[in-house]
Amino acid sequence: MMHCTMEDLGALRAGEGSVWARQHITTCDVCQKELELLYQRIAQLKALPALRPSRDRWPAVQAVIRAERSRKRRTWSWTGSLAAAAVLAGILLMQPNGQNTLYAELNRAKQQSATLEDSLKQFDVEGSVLSGHAAAVFAELEDRISLLDGTLAQRVEGAHDGDAELVRLWQERVGLMRELVQARATRARYVGL
Amino acid sequence: MTVSLAVPDILVARAQAGDEEALEALYRAFETPVYNLARRMLKRPEDAEDVVQETFLEVVRNIKQYRGEGHLWGWVRRIASTKALMRIRRDQVRATEPLDEEPGKPGMRVGANIDLERAFEQLSETSRAVVWLHDVEGYTHEEIAEQMGKTVSFSKSQLARAHARLRRMLDVDAGEAGGTHA
Repeated sequence: MMHCTMEDLGALRAGEGSVWARQHITTCDVCQKELELLYQRIAQLKALPALRPSRDRWPAVQAVIRAERSRKRRTWSWTGSLAAAAVLAGILLMQPNGQNTLYAELNRAKQQSATLEDSLKQFDVEGSVLSGHAAAVFAELEDRISLLDGTLAQRVEGAHDGDAELVRLWQERVGLMRELVQARATRARYVGL
Repeated sequence: MTVSLAVPDILVARAQAGDEEALEALYRAFETPVYNLARRMLKRPEDAEDVVQETFLEVVRNIKQYRGEGHLWGWVRRIASTKALMRIRRDQVRATEPLDEEPGKPGMRVGANIDLERAFEQLSETSRAVVWLHDVEGYTHEEIAEQMGKTVSFSKSQLARAHARLRRMLDVDAGEAGGTHA
């Protein structure tokens, strides 16, 4: 005697059984029992206890959120700094020869900074999972860069002749950006991104 | 598992405004159901934990787009199941349910009277995903097919095959059925 397949039983459960299956199930004890077992299995699956994670992933999620917020702030600040730096470059260009060295150093630091910003983009994988430690390291570096950008923006507004301090701040930014790129590259190598 | 997760609107509004405490409260509310869903679909606990992390990052990034249509859990669950299915799709080794039993593989002996939870764990991740989403979470075959990037008949046949396999593993009155219910 031909019996219902599991697909037939599933369709019967969903109220979509074929004419043959619907008719057969009314007379076949074996298939009736199988259908009952299917119902029981599904009820048991629904009753399985909830599994709980052994580790708390909130710190890692939180660190990524903070890093992303910090990066957004930094991007805004960086855009503002670029515009202000262009104005400053104009001011410095008009200075006597003694200031040309400072201007060249400032220009170099800004170019290095821009190059490092571009390098950083290749490691910016949306939704990639970071360990809490890696996320914290990135967040700390990004926060320091944001702070520095804030200082830079203020400094540029009040720029004056031969601003060696401004050059030093830009060079510090390059150093921090380098650390960040290295940390991102190490992590990318480790997880094979 | 029955999930009844009512989240106050004010909490959602605070989370949408970027309040970190509210975001953590949402995380705490949904952490276990998201993990449970992912863990039932995926074999490795660490993969399920990664899904929890990825899901909440997406929730945080997109919470402003949640307009309060439908239960928040429905929205979060959709993100979580998509993330879990992406993992399954990424790893082709996880494959689909084999047509035949794999003889000699530990814990897969036909006729062994094992409990449902253990039997379920023996299924491939694709089958687990289909069974869990359809039978427990109440997704339709159309929804599963869409999320998996497969056809409706694929979802139906995976479900039937998985149940046939569970049936054999659980071995309840197997002799009576005589293999006709595969």
